[in-house]
Order: sequence, then structure tokens, then C-alpha cells
Amino acid sequence: MTETCPPRRRWRLPQGAAPAIALVPAALITLVCFYLFIGWTFAISLTDSRLLPNWEFIGLEQYRRLFASSRWWTALENLGLYAVLFIGGCTLLGYLLAILIDRGVRAEGVYRTIFMLPLSMSFVVTGIIWQWMLNPGLGIQQAVRGLGFEEFAFNWLVRADRAIFTVALAGIWQQVGLCMALFLAGLRGIDPNIWKAARVDGIPTWRVYLDIVTPMLKATFFTSTILLFSLAVKSFDLVVALTGGGPGFSSDLPARFVMEHILTRQELGLGAAGAFVMLCTIAAVVAPYLYLQNRRGAA
Amino acid sequence: MYAPRKSRPIARPALAAALACWLSGVAAAQQAPARPVEVMHWLTSGGESAALSVIRDAFLARGGAWRDAPVPGGSGARSAAINRILGGKPPAVFLFSLGSQLDELAGHGLVATVPGDTAAWDAVLPPMVAKASKHQGRYVAAPLAIHGENWMFFNPAVLREAGVEVPRTWPEFVEAGRKIKAAGKVPIALGGQPWQERILFNAVLLGVGGREFYLKVYGQLDPAAIQSDTMLEVFRIVSELRGFVDEGSPGRRWNQATAMLMRGQAAFQFMGDWAKGDITAAGLEPGREIGCAFAPAEETAYIMVVDAWAYTNSDDPGTRAGQRLFTEVAMDPAVQAALNQRKGSIPVRTDVAPDGFDACARHAMEVIRDPATHLVSTGLFGLPGGVSGAIDDAISQFWNDGRLTPEQGRALFRDSVLAFQ
Repeated sequence: MTETCPPRRRWRLPQGAAPAIALVPAALITLVCFYLFIGWTFAISLTDSRLLPNWEFIGLEQYRRLFASSRWWTALENLGLYAVLFIGGCTLLGYLLAILIDRGVRAEGVYRTIFMLPLSMSFVVTGIIWQWMLNPGLGIQQAVRGLGFEEFAFNWLVRADRAIFTVALAGIWQQVGLCMALFLAGLRGIDPNIWKAARVDGIPTWRVYLDIVTPMLKATFFTSTILLFSLAVKSFDLVVALTGGGPGFSSDLPARFVMEHILTRQELGLGAAGAFVMLCTIAAVVAPYLYLQNRRGAA
Repeated sequence: MYAPRKSRPIARPALAAALACWLSGVAAAQQAPARPVEVMHWLTSGGESAALSVIRDAFLARGGAWRDAPVPGGSGARSAAINRILGGKPPAVFLFSLGSQLDELAGHGLVATVPGDTAAWDAVLPPMVAKASKHQGRYVAAPLAIHGENWMFFNPAVLREAGVEVPRTWPEFVEAGRKIKAAGKVPIALGGQPWQERILFNAVLLGVGGREFYLKVYGQLDPAAIQSDTMLEVFRIVSELRGFVDEGSPGRRWNQATAMLMRGQAAFQFMGDWAKGDITAAGLEPGREIGCAFAPAEETAYIMVVDAWAYTNSDDPGTRAGQRLFTEVAMDPAVQAALNQRKGSIPVRTDVAPDGFDACARHAMEVIRDPATHLVSTGLFGLPGGVSGAIDDAISQFWNDGRLTPEQGRALFRDSVLAFQ
């Protein structure tokens, strides 16, 4: 309500000071809640803390134990596989859906709602729904067999070498709506004159999407990838609800490994080491990406 | 951030302190003052809460005041208790599992020595339970009940149909399992969660290796025993059992597996005696409609799982009096008998008469008269959580990955134990 301000001011804040002051609380929270606790976690990972924190430093011993554990390696491999499938699947499928809707289907609102609806559910609910659907004795397999296809088998949920794919499937099902919305917004933002020009030049529609529109949506791809990547790395509830990390620990993810070791196995130091390695992994992936984006943005 | 300390001195005006002193002084003449004792526990299922109400009723009848603080789920309740203690608002009494976690709490001075008279406990508690309840020679926990882990429940009708006897050794069991499978039933109802897979594995380990071997593996983590041919035989038998479970096993809860047994879909379940609670609740009698026997073994032994009451430090005389009364009630032979009959377990006191218990429990009480039969589950040996967790991981990985040979299983077990030590 700047209009109501008195016309004469006794003093003015220097240029740019007001936004800086407004940012102070947020900056403080970030500093304390993120950086301080990152530092604390790193420090704990260098100690032999078990149930309770203590400060007996033992160097990198926890990291040695961490990387000697075959379960940790399984969790890391699963994360890689899951992240690739999840991000790739969501992006591709979401983009495709967005294009289809953008082509002007009838009852667009209905489709948009259908695809966005899973997003309103928590990962836990998603996990339980898919657990029932994929349960070989209850879900899809049983239903298809009931139709007379006795040999039909879809038992990935209970197969140690396939369980992680079911996690990716459920994750994609839930998040594809988010990607679709992002891409749809991007597509709607494209200058209609580009389409007119392409039509004049007689370029087939798919070429326009592939060579003209997609490069124009670079920023949208960037946003969705970063969003999905952070979702993938912190995935915990989905895997807990869907497979419980099983069979065995074949669908374990690093976040679940860390939680379990800190909370139920009284291995605070080891869990902290795992958490820190997770942070390093994310940094290793995101940092070059951010760097490239910034450089391109500056150029 | 956090520094271990005794519980925070209660900041109260002097008047209140004087009042409390006066109250306790007056009350000491008759009985403990009615200062509410907050009891944190996870005894929320039907049989469990019935068992808890035995303690509560006796506690109230003797003038105690009870404040209930239930948290569903053992691990959740344990975390909650720890958080409350660290946060400076400890519950007066909380249920906990015996093992290294309790030991660590005691080491930091966060749990109190059991208030009241514990002098007689050494004589009545099974020695292994007594040892696990102590920290540096003093009792830090009052055991609640002894559950057994190496039970084999079976459906006699299914066995009759398939024409098999209750097996007494593991080779016999493999034989019987094949016949049951041929008859179109599931030989083993298993919930495919790591802890349930461990119960099955430990039953084989004890059955094949014997008591001495079990103690060497879990009590001492003896490398020679872990790399022995006996261990290889254990893994060989376990690999045979993989084919005896149905496809829906992974992730199933134990009570769903028990239901399979009761519906006659499956023949055997290897589970702790808490399964009796569900069997009774379904209107069947353990020992009759659903049979119970120890898992096949050459030597009789009972793998005990024990939860116990632990106490926090308090400067408040009323709370301390309440804690003392609680101990007295919880360890009372009559209370022990009644609560364990409802919980499906057996009393922690070996001097309780077996009258009124079901056939399975009477058998267990008979067996543990011989101290040589006493064994405890992995956690109770005081293994660090990381090590017993790594053992669970190894067992679960071997069980779920059908490509692993017994040799690889043994190597996996050894490596995970060594890596985490």
C-alpha cells in the first residue's frame, strides 16, 4: 500500500537494503538448519557414535565400514537405476502427455485432472496401492490368470532382481502429472507465430516438436530434472511402503539404509557417514549441471 | 550438542519440595503416595494389552497411580523413550528390549538401577536373562516375559492329509516338506521380512549345529565356527527350504502367515510363541487344532527373547516410590503367572507353577528347568546393533537370492560379520 505512505520521509534505507533485511531470517534458517547440521553430521560421521552421539574421533573408519557393506553398494546401485528410470520415465512420458494434450484433445480438463490426481497422494498411499496391484496373489497377475491366461507371470514385486523396477514404476505413475503440467505450461508459452511460420514452411509437426520446440523448452527440462532428481534421492517412503526394501534388501535405497542404521540399529556414526556420502553424490551430479546452466545463462 | 547427564534436577519452589517430603513422610507409614507413574510401552495388541492390564490392575489395587503412554510398535516405542529421556522429560518406567542398546543407555547413566529389592532375582531368573538385565553387576531392567523364538507351529490336519509325521530333524523336515508340496499345500508359511527369515535360519542353525555351536556363532562370533562345515550344512538345509514357501511370501506379516496355517493352506510356521495370541483369538487352541513343537533339532534348547521394564532417574520421592511399587508388582509371582498366560509367553521367574498355562507353554516351562537348554536370540547376546543387523542382512540376502550357493552364503555371513565388527 505505497500510496498511503506519507509524502515526506525522514530517512530512507540505502538502495537494496530492504530486500537484504527481508532475507535475513531465511538466510539464518538456511545457515542453521542446513549448513550447521551438515557440518554436525559430517563431524558425527568421524566418531564412533552408536546409539547416542559421542565425540571420540576415529577418522574415516565409519566410511571404511560403509563401503565394506554389500548392502550399501546395493542401495547405491539401486539409487542409480531408480534415478535414471524415474527421471527418464517421468520426463519422456510427461512430455508426451503434454504434447498430446497441447494438440487440442477434447475434454482437456478431464485428462489433466486424471494425470494430476496421483500427485495429490502421498508416496505411502501410492506404495500401498501398487503393492496390492503387484502382489502376485491379489493383483494384476491374479486378475489376468483369472481371465484364462494361466501361464501369465508378473511377479516383479517379489523377485529380488526386479523389485527396484516396481518402485520406479510406482514413482513414475505418481510424478508424471507434475512433469506434464510443467511441460504443458512451457508449450503454452511458445509463441504461436513459430507454429505459423513452420506451417508456412511445410515442416512436419513432429519435426517442429523435436527440433524447434524441445530446444526452446530447455529451461523447463532443467527444472523438471532437478525437481525429479531431488525426489529420487530422498525417496524413502515409497520404497518403505511398496517393498519394505525387500525381498531381502534388494530394493533398498540409501535414504532407507541411513534411517535404519540411525534409528533401529544404533549406528549413528555409520548412518551419518551414509548421509554425507549421499550429499556428496548429489553435489557431484548437480554441481556440474548448475555450473553449465549458469555459464550458458551468462554467455 | 548433547552431553550425557543424569536426569535434570527438578526446578520447583522450595515449598513444593517440602510438601513432597512431608507427603512421602506421611505416606511412608502406610503406603506409597499416589504420584502417577508414567509407563511407556508398546503392548497394544489384544493379548498384549490384556497382559498389561494384569500389571496395571495389581498396581492400582496396591495404591499406585498409573499414567499410560502407549506407542504402537516396538522400535517406535523404543525411539520415543530415548527421545523423551534425551529431551529431559523421561517416562518413569518404559518397556525396552534387553541387549546392547539398553547397555549403552545404562553406560551413559540414562537409566536407573532397578529400584526396590532385587537381591532374590539371581536365584529365580534364568542366568542368561539375569546377565542381560544387568549393567556392571546391578540390575537395570526388570524382565517382563520370556518368549521363545524356536517354535514350529503346524496344522495337524494338513500333515495327516500329506501322510507325514511331525519331523524331528532337519533332513526329516526336508523329506516331509516335499510330500506336503506334492500334496498341493505350502510347506512353510513364511512372512518374508528379514527378522522372520532370521527366526527360520536360527532354527536351522540350532537344529543342525546344536547348542554349543549356536553359542559359538552368536555369543562369541567365533570365526572358526562361522567357517566350519557345520555352517555349510546349515546353509545347505536353508537353501533346500527356499522352495517350500509360496510366491507371496516377501513382505508378508507374520500374522498373515499364521492365518495361512490356520486356514489349512500351509503346514508349518516357524515363529515365536506370540503367534499363540492370534491362534487363540481365532478360537483355536494351541497344542490341539494348531500343534506346537520345538523346531527340529538334535538337542533341545529354548531361544529366549526378553523385553524388560527399565526405569529413569528421578529426584522426586513420589515417583521413586511409584517405581518401587511397580517393580514389586511386575515381579510378583501371581502377576507373572496371570500376565504370561495372556501374553502367550512364560514367566521370567522359574519358581512360578505351570498350572493354568497352555500345553505349549507348560512344555517350555518344563524344558527350561535345565539351564543347559537356555539360549537367547541374537540381540540378547549384547551384539552391537550394527552387527546383528548385518547378520540379518546376510541371512535375508541368501534366502532371497536363489542363485547363491551354500558356500557363497557362508562367505557372505562371515564377511558381513567381520565388516561390521
